[in-house]
Amino acid sequence: MASTSFAPSSFMLSEYLEKLPGATFRKLYQQPSTAFAIFRRMLPHLAKIYVQALLYMPEPLSVKDLDVWVRPEGKTASNRAIGILRSLHIVSVIQPSKDKPQEIQLTNNFKKSLRLALEGGGSHSSFGVPSRLPVNPEIDIPFLDNWAGKIWQDILYYVVNSVPVRNDSGGGSGYSSQGGPRAAVRELLLMGGLVRRGDGGGVQISEHGFNFLLQEANAQVWTLLLLWLEAADRSKAAAKGGAPVPATSLDNVEMLSFLFMLASLELGRAYDTSALTDTRRNMLPALADFGLIYIDPRNREQYFPTRLATTLTSSSAALRSVSASLDAATKKNPGDAGSLVAGAGVPEENGGIIIETNYRIYAYTSSPLQIAILHLFARLIMRWPNMVSGRLTRESVREAIKDGITANQIISYLAAHAHPQLVRAAAAKGTPVLPATVVDQIRLWQLESERMQPNAGFLFKDFDSVEEYAEMATYAQEIGVLVWKNDRKRHFFVRKVEQLRDWLKARKKGG
Amino acid sequence: MAPKRKAPVTQTGATKAGRTSALSTPGPATPRSLDSSVMSDTEIELDEDVSEDQKMREELYGQEADEFVNSWDISSKRFQAGHEVRNYDSATPFFKRRDFSHYPLKPDHQNRPLWIEPDKGTIVLERFSPLAEQATDFLITIAEPKSRPTFLHEYALTTHSLYAAVSVGLRPQDIINTLDRFLKTPLPEGVRQYIENCTKSYGKIKLVLKNNKYFVESVETELLQMLLRDPVIAAARVHSGNADLTTTYAPSMGGLVIPGTQNAAGVRQANLKQDGNKPGEQPEAGNEADVFAALNEEDEDDDKEAVHAFEIMDTNVELVQKRCLDLNYPILEEYDFRDDSMNPNLEIDLRPNTQIRPYQEKSLSKMFGNGRAKSGIIVLPCGAGKTLVGITAACTIKKGVIVLCTSSMSVHQWRQEFLKWSNINPDDIAVFTAESKSKFSGSTGIIVTTYSMVTNSRERSHDSKKMMDFLKGREWGLMLLDEVHVVPAEVFRRVISSIKSHSKLGLTATLLREDDKISHLNFLIGPKLYEANWMELSQQGHIAKVQCAEVWCPMPTEFYDEYLKANSHMKRTLYAMNPTKFQACQYLINYHEARGDKIIVFSDELYSLRQYALKLKKVFIYGGTNNSERLQVLENFQHNPDVNTLFLSKIGDTSLDLPEATCLIQISSHFGSRRQEAQRLGRILRAKRRNDEGFNAFFYSLVSKDTQEMYYSSKRQAFLVDQGYAFKVITQLANINETPDLAFATPQERRELLQRTLVDNEKGIEQDAETDDLFGKPARGRKKTTGVRRIAGTLGELSGGQDMAYIEQNKAANKGLKKKKGENQSTFFKKMAREKEKAKGR
Amino acid sequence: MPRAIRGVLITCEPAIKSILLHIDKTQLNNEAIIEDLDDTHLFVKEQMLKTLQSKLDEKLKETYRVEQPLEDSDAEGN
Repeated sequence: MASTSFAPSSFMLSEYLEKLPGATFRKLYQQPSTAFAIFRRMLPHLAKIYVQALLYMPEPLSVKDLDVWVRPEGKTASNRAIGILRSLHIVSVIQPSKDKPQEIQLTNNFKKSLRLALEGGGSHSSFGVPSRLPVNPEIDIPFLDNWAGKIWQDILYYVVNSVPVRNDSGGGSGYSSQGGPRAAVRELLLMGGLVRRGDGGGVQISEHGFNFLLQEANAQVWTLLLLWLEAADRSKAAAKGGAPVPATSLDNVEMLSFLFMLASLELGRAYDTSALTDTRRNMLPALADFGLIYIDPRNREQYFPTRLATTLTSSSAALRSVSASLDAATKKNPGDAGSLVAGAGVPEENGGIIIETNYRIYAYTSSPLQIAILHLFARLIMRWPNMVSGRLTRESVREAIKDGITANQIISYLAAHAHPQLVRAAAAKGTPVLPATVVDQIRLWQLESERMQPNAGFLFKDFDSVEEYAEMATYAQEIGVLVWKNDRKRHFFVRKVEQLRDWLKARKKGG
Repeated sequence: MAPKRKAPVTQTGATKAGRTSALSTPGPATPRSLDSSVMSDTEIELDEDVSEDQKMREELYGQEADEFVNSWDISSKRFQAGHEVRNYDSATPFFKRRDFSHYPLKPDHQNRPLWIEPDKGTIVLERFSPLAEQATDFLITIAEPKSRPTFLHEYALTTHSLYAAVSVGLRPQDIINTLDRFLKTPLPEGVRQYIENCTKSYGKIKLVLKNNKYFVESVETELLQMLLRDPVIAAARVHSGNADLTTTYAPSMGGLVIPGTQNAAGVRQANLKQDGNKPGEQPEAGNEADVFAALNEEDEDDDKEAVHAFEIMDTNVELVQKRCLDLNYPILEEYDFRDDSMNPNLEIDLRPNTQIRPYQEKSLSKMFGNGRAKSGIIVLPCGAGKTLVGITAACTIKKGVIVLCTSSMSVHQWRQEFLKWSNINPDDIAVFTAESKSKFSGSTGIIVTTYSMVTNSRERSHDSKKMMDFLKGREWGLMLLDEVHVVPAEVFRRVISSIKSHSKLGLTATLLREDDKISHLNFLIGPKLYEANWMELSQQGHIAKVQCAEVWCPMPTEFYDEYLKANSHMKRTLYAMNPTKFQACQYLINYHEARGDKIIVFSDELYSLRQYALKLKKVFIYGGTNNSERLQVLENFQHNPDVNTLFLSKIGDTSLDLPEATCLIQISSHFGSRRQEAQRLGRILRAKRRNDEGFNAFFYSLVSKDTQEMYYSSKRQAFLVDQGYAFKVITQLANINETPDLAFATPQERRELLQRTLVDNEKGIEQDAETDDLFGKPARGRKKTTGVRRIAGTLGELSGGQDMAYIEQNKAANKGLKKKKGENQSTFFKKMAREKEKAKGR
Repeated sequence: MPRAIRGVLITCEPAIKSILLHIDKTQLNNEAIIEDLDDTHLFVKEQMLKTLQSKLDEKLKETYRVEQPLEDSDAEGN
């Protein structure tokens, strides 16, 4: 299967982390679970080796010695690894002095916590406290998978702008997610720009939203969690009268490290809510809204991490199985308690999409979600229990492009979900997976929509002298408002006029 | 569908009916002021010089047929039975009523290749299923192919396709059972009922010519009784003193062997006993889930069935046929040629080393499925050997044959092919054209002629009249109708009503008309018996692999500004004369000539055809080129290594065999005609080099960007795209600016070109109407010649000497060839010349 | 003293520019386009932009096959 060109799922998380100040990291790394999760998830292989080497080193290591380990051709990779370690405040570099060369060492908190995590010492509740209360036997792994799958699917539905249908006949599982995601989640999606308000008051998917849909489930979860953290920051800032809250605030660290902790918990096990700090306990309802944890309505003392939570920091291989089991879960009739056997066996027709040279498109799927995604850029024609047919048309693709989805995204989606037959045929012939003519055409359709670009602003003309024109055009360029100019005609066009006006006045006074 | 019209008031109603097609080619800015013949898809001119009475009759027939065909059209009906409990989920609204996810999948659905849409009968076939081959054979028999790209094919169940299925011998129950077996879901009740309803009345009544008497035949006596209660039919009956129906036993394939097939070889070698299996439908060995085994078994039961019949008068055959249509029991024509003792047998067989290809065999097995000859149409891509299919049919029936072609060029080609593939005595095969009116010498034989020869009553010479009487006065065993897609229904009606034949076989590559009149052929000739898959034949190496490309040529601003202002005729000229297109054409010619390709450049627009050919110093043929010059040019294109590019007007669209050509460039074409596109592609499908490893033929369509041509181009491609051809869009030709002597490279030259184009065409010098017949009547051509001369004068006055130079050069290009006349004439043309001499001698 | 005129700069291909000029001349009484700047730029009135855009779309419909509405029927698109 062709790989997509999308960023690895940890990309956004690392971006977020790298923006945090050092103090936050110091606090974060007080938690062994966080140090461990970041070590496991965020570091490239070489960086992990360095951390392991430095972990039990009593003294800082001279950078020169470190260089000895690296072959000349590995220099770039080595520098990159150290760069990452520094940006995540895992290592600190001691600048050279007269008697000492440049040295490198692990930051204190990280070192301490990672050692604890690996050795398992201490009486830390960092890895969660299992509940001692009796557990409702109905809440087993399949139940949790199904529940989380349903919640997550509802969120994705909302993004593709298709409100799930109420299915009152089903149910019995006691959750209340029918009718789409909670208002708070919807708000978050809107705020995060995954959806935007359409003309008719409803919501529409955005380019970000489409990227979001194309991500692995795990990356999607992180995207949403990070949006949530940002929103939390902002609302706190607002509460404090506009002064930006430093990201070092205890809450923020608490929240982030709680997420890392959840990742270390065991699926199917009940944990004690009373062992949590207030901040963490306050997070529970929101996490339940995201489907990361399940709280038994009959026993609010217990929370169950779902697969979405326990795989937050897993390797990508494990992630695939997550999306597979989520797929399986979402395929079942929503609310059908009898069919909550997710993950049991491979989904029978994890089909794939066939795109033909005559733009007909066939998707082996019964998932309303996948169908809804197809609907974003294709005309759907017919549906059978295990397959839908449709067409890519100029209009359908152009509508998608108008909604902010790009030609490349559509192409990547089709390639990533290509039917095995397509992949096999392409491999046999040594051709690309998707028909070249169709790929070209999708791109051409996008180009078509870019054939005329209007820019509102002001046209400057009738200059007294070449000098005046040249000076002013240069100034306009410098302040970044110039859109177009024609030296021969002595015309130029700017987006904004205010600064130029002031400049003109000043010039007039001056000259 | 043509609009229904009131009874005829004035002349030429029937002709107009053919031409309303123009309206079915939607083009927003294509006003009707245009010469309608340019827009029309009807390419065989209908002779209007007939009696008022005949016109009235034809008009009426046309109308009734329209209505009848309409009544058969299911696209407005859906056959859903009752209300079903449907699934409903969040994805359902995307499909409206086309969500059929409530049909349960069969437990082993993965091993079954079909889905069916319960409302309209659209069938989707998984080509990668292990059962795909069998399912494809089955579907091509019962349904209409709609989309046949690589992985999933679509077919549509239609009344016509079911009619065809029944007529080749499938029974409703066979169709239902087999379909059900292939489906992933249970067969929807609505589809079952639809098949039953449709087939109830089809194929039940047969018209059989036995001992030169016409019989209406059926296995169900009640049906015949019902027909006889109809006063019209009762009046047509021959009362031979006995009021009872005659009863005989239905024939079987029995000992019939189609020549050229495996069976034929077997018979010759070991004289093996025939087991009654249909050739071509023989199941592939070892495949247990084979449905045809079952079908064949049931066929054997058929053999024992009793059939009943009553005789009708020869003169009333058409009347009875029509009456049966009205009663919704369309008559199927069958010819029991093995029992025909009245008509003398024709000494003809395929030459011993002639082996026909599997798909040709398959198509013929549909025609001769039960040992009789059924009338119908076989659709094979150009270059796939339609002629051999026709010849094999003639060799099977072994009675008098009349072959109708579209041009005198193909008349001669047909005769040559007959001589090449069969052992027919050259004296037994004669041609009837304007130049040659020979008869065969023996009691029976083959006549090859054109549609216009037998339908035009105008200007008919004494000889022709005598010839026509000869044709009309005989009974023909087989009528072969070539290129049926270009012939208007009215022409068929005239041919069929004047020339009596026991069976009719229509041949075409593209059963496709923009005017929808194609469904009439189902009733005039017979159902479509077989339609081959282009991609499959190309993969198997029977026809060339073609790379298709659409080259976008932006118009220089001056041109485009004029284009925007121009009327529609001038628009056409301008997008053909687009200098960017010209350069692209030049570039591609250079490129492909360097590769060793032989190139045909097509232009529908005569002005540009000439301008391109002149400027690039290439030979060209159009309607006005006289016969000897045409022969000369073709001859050189085929055999002269220095003549590698030929410019052709649309007269070269069909029936011109140039197996040397491996590359085709289209610079101007007939609006949105899907058929022309397919026909033109056909010009390079029989490319001689197709068996070379990695060989590809090339098909380029040059279109001017941002003009209507873009719209037409995508419409034209629709048919081929659904056959699995992929058109690559080329927006930039690599290093085109490095082309030596690139034409119109400077703005100055481009402006001059524009001025010249505008002035030349504003005067309306050019009349585009021309005959389709490559070797058509010279009378039409002569008018054009005058046009050419006038152009030369105009150009000279207008833009000075340099323009005249092109003309001179071109004259040299076509003329230069003449010096070589006779030097290396091909055997074909020599033969043709000899035949002509011979014909004159008679 | 230079002049600053409010309006919309349209950046487009030459062919699109030709069409826009043609529309302005034949349908809008020369009231949409303020100035023809160069081969790929036009300067137009802000309030006429929408009209120009929709007329351009209309004009370009000649150059491609408009999708047949699906309804509930056969989706044979010619």
